[in-house]
Amino acid sequence: MNESASSMLLIGIGTSGCSIARSVADSFGESLRYILADTDAKSGDLGGPFTLIGSNRLSGRGAGGDVVAARLAAEDSLGSFDTLIEGVRLAIVVTALGGGTGSGATLEVVKHLSDRGIPSCVFATTPFAFEGADRQRNARGVMNMIEEAANACFFLPLDKLVESDDQTMGDAMNKAISIMARGMTLFWRLATKPGYIRLDAERMRHLIAGSGKGRFASVLVQGENRAEKAVEELRNSKLLLDSSGPVRAMLCGVLAGDDLRLSEIGVISEGLRLSFGERAGFELATVNDEETFSGRLAVVLMLFESNGRTDAEEEEAAKTNEAVRRRRKQKAVLGTGPTGRGRFNNAEPTIWNGEDLDVPTFIRRNISLDY
Amino acid sequence: MSDIYAALEIGTTRTLLAIGEAGTSGRIKLTCHASIPSTGVRKSKILDIKQATQAIKGVLYAIEKKQSEAGSDITIGNAYLVVSGQHIKADPFTGSIQIDGRVTDNDINDLSEQAHNMTLPKDRELLDIIDQDYNLDNFGGISTPKGMAGRVLKLNTLHIHAERNRIEDARTAANGARLEIREPLFAATCAAEAVIEEYERKNGALVIDLGGGSTGYAAYIDGYLVSSGVIGVGGDHVTNDIAHAFQTNQSQAEALKTEEASATISQERGEASRVKLQSSSPLLDYRTISRHALDTVVNARLRELFAVIRDTLESQDLLHRLHSGVVLTGGGAAMRNIDALAQRELGMNVRRGRPLGVDGLEDEPHPESFASICGALQYAHHANATKPLFGLNKLFGGLFK
Repeated sequence: MNESASSMLLIGIGTSGCSIARSVADSFGESLRYILADTDAKSGDLGGPFTLIGSNRLSGRGAGGDVVAARLAAEDSLGSFDTLIEGVRLAIVVTALGGGTGSGATLEVVKHLSDRGIPSCVFATTPFAFEGADRQRNARGVMNMIEEAANACFFLPLDKLVESDDQTMGDAMNKAISIMARGMTLFWRLATKPGYIRLDAERMRHLIAGSGKGRFASVLVQGENRAEKAVEELRNSKLLLDSSGPVRAMLCGVLAGDDLRLSEIGVISEGLRLSFGERAGFELATVNDEETFSGRLAVVLMLFESNGRTDAEEEEAAKTNEAVRRRRKQKAVLGTGPTGRGRFNNAEPTIWNGEDLDVPTFIRRNISLDY
Repeated sequence: MSDIYAALEIGTTRTLLAIGEAGTSGRIKLTCHASIPSTGVRKSKILDIKQATQAIKGVLYAIEKKQSEAGSDITIGNAYLVVSGQHIKADPFTGSIQIDGRVTDNDINDLSEQAHNMTLPKDRELLDIIDQDYNLDNFGGISTPKGMAGRVLKLNTLHIHAERNRIEDARTAANGARLEIREPLFAATCAAEAVIEEYERKNGALVIDLGGGSTGYAAYIDGYLVSSGVIGVGGDHVTNDIAHAFQTNQSQAEALKTEEASATISQERGEASRVKLQSSSPLLDYRTISRHALDTVVNARLRELFAVIRDTLESQDLLHRLHSGVVLTGGGAAMRNIDALAQRELGMNVRRGRPLGVDGLEDEPHPESFASICGALQYAHHANATKPLFGLNKLFGGLFK
């Protein structure tokens, strides 16, 4: 394993997260540093470096869709992660939100990485609409918190990842896992394989730290006009169309064999800029891998959205994150001190996603105030 | 001859009584209004009926005095009641009938009766029933099904209801001031009635009524109300957050909120970056706090509030269909830069909602805070316009005893 690869760690959390991570490890074709973590012991049966989360609390039976139980279980097990994340410079977390472990344990692991000063990039699928309101709620309940704790995150709605109309749920899930795994494998190759325009793990770490919420898609094309085809497919990708804000920056990886032409890079670079934002920052990297990509061309695209915050708000958000880390280190636990409900002390509470909204927001969000 | 109506709002921040006169053009003229700060109300719930009654007596007296000074000697006998609070819920209900051939007027009437007949628990009181669209043989979005051929006709409705005891408490408080409540009306839909145009309802619009104790919302698509509700967070929460953050009393916090704070975080430098605050200590004239910190407290609370609304509508798959954007009403809409924050958090065009079709607010600095009361007056006018008109004496006998 080269040094670049060993400083990046892939963490699969929950049953689907473990499947995706295992699939990436299998596809990568060589030793990739990864760990699998789940509350369900069955996820370890298929092999790979597996960590059972919350064995004392849940006895390996899974969290049963209970996000809170999974969070508590993950908290119990965080100590066992410390040896596994030693020397890691960038952690890529892959998971499926909606279930208990995917939603709950992911949040705790990402916070733990943040506490240890390890930047994390989360790739998480969000449930199909047909999976029901509970799973949608589980996912929504943690998305903001994951976004706050992670350095970069990509939420991939399964409804957009797979056309599920004429498939069984099992088939759709398997297809989604395989698409995610393919994208993740390409992403991994991008950071670890040599190329003319190099993007190593350190550069990736630098780019991802502080990137925020983004969109992610990958395509694999071949034949004539393959560069144009790749641009067209990305332009029409449902995963990239959905946006909550304008694109602030793009990270594009082109992976090909020895036949990659300069003109193709030009077509891809110009096409993507025209499609997603000419003013956005653009970072390009290429990988030459004749063995894997002979005659084929893969493009991995990450779009980072502008969150629309003013500079002052950005500054505040950075301070907030720092304050959160500091308080976590001090083992400060919310809710044990004065509640801050003030004049609402004896009023009927307003509860939203398990939070008491009568308590001042800045207290619940650990926002530090510059008095 | 003009019709005159009265509307009362017992809010968390203020008790407001307004008199509206419908002219021949159909527009409402707000001829007189009075408000005094509420003291016995928290999170839109009356905690002290005696204090609420005193407040109602106070606004009645103020109105009557103003009317008397204007040469009109009247006594207000009844009023429509504008209600808000997180006890208000909106539930969908669908009625369904079999059709024999083509849809007739009788079919539509029978269906309407059935769809309006949802049984509520005893502790709930119905505020309104909104007819949405018809569905004929699973083909929805039909507004006038008469004459269409099919087998099963359905009518989707939205039933808005409130906790009976809350309404009763308001009635008791009003009755204590010798004011009869004609009909309770939901504040958010009243506000929507007043501030959005028909074409906005068709294109999809969201009205957010930012009250003192709670925030109501009403989303319209294809011309009818599709979703509505109340979140138990309002301007009082902003005040409470400020009081807690800067160790001030509630009135100081209220003044900081209304006079100094911004919904977006200030980038002021130098002297402007500090806000003076009268000190409660006899040793100090005043102390200063950071404007940046003040805005941060307000920004966090309001961002969260908009996120709750955004997530609620997103979970109903409605957010992306609100093409006409968002209209902010209520006292909270007066907050500096709240429109910019809402625009950013909801990803839509946002404007403050000045009541349309209502005259008499020209001198009001924040007409959006009158949206729900104006909507109630407009509702009163429409409701009475569809009934046989009272004569002048009868009208005054009914409204003004």
